[in-house]
Amino acid sequence: MELYIAFVVASILLPILYPFISWALGRWYQGRLMAALDENEKMHGVVLSNESLLSTSSRNTNFASPSATLLHVSLCVAPSTGQIFFMWVKSLFGGRLVSYDVVLDYGRREALYRLQQQARQQECTSMINIRIETSTLSFARNQDSKTSSIEILAYATGLRS
Amino acid sequence: MQAPAIALHMSNVETIPGRQIVRSFGLVTGSTVRAKHIGKDIFAGLKNIVGGELKAYTELLNESRNEAIQRMMMAAHNLGANGVVNVRFATSSVAAGASELFCYGTAVVVE
Repeated sequence: MELYIAFVVASILLPILYPFISWALGRWYQGRLMAALDENEKMHGVVLSNESLLSTSSRNTNFASPSATLLHVSLCVAPSTGQIFFMWVKSLFGGRLVSYDVVLDYGRREALYRLQQQARQQECTSMINIRIETSTLSFARNQDSKTSSIEILAYATGLRS
Repeated sequence: MQAPAIALHMSNVETIPGRQIVRSFGLVTGSTVRAKHIGKDIFAGLKNIVGGELKAYTELLNESRNEAIQRMMMAAHNLGANGVVNVRFATSSVAAGASELFCYGTAVVVE
């Protein structure tokens, strides 16, 4: 009997508490990811020897460079279900959706960091014409799926000196 | 059969820095449409509880983009080009459960 009551209470409470649990777990997990990225950026952030040539410009291509290569990095990030739920609540009133800000900011910084790492692996000393693109991906089977994932793509031309 | 990997000069600027373009062949494209298998989809659904990076999808995207690039390079190679300039990427959700990764550029011959 007690087990039955516990089961009923749990089956009522869990769906109600799920967004809160997911939000709390998401904050903790994403906080850890951010901290790791901060650390990585501090440790290996400046990897290119010529930082002045790290640019979004495509004009400065006429200087002597023995070889160049295309660098590209893409990654997929998603807010937690709890964040999506609270964003839905927030979107009823409008205003700034902080959760999405955080997720997108993390995605972009991580993509740029990985692009720099790739440049270093390919022995590039500078990157020009850096482009960052964002798109929504849907690999979910049903159209009504609430899960949304965001693809961040960063690409650039890496120059070796 | 897996096509042999081709390595051409590539850049997303108007030229290949440090090289001279001697001939242009025009637009070359490469695309691939990918869907995730259901097991990884379920795992990604679970990962949505905490959010953050979905590594299974990141892996899939990188794999697919490399394939699209390979197809573009194959098209350029078949035209007799040895480089592709002004490369651009595009991603779109073409159907529920599938995404298209597309890349395009201008095939050129460089010295």
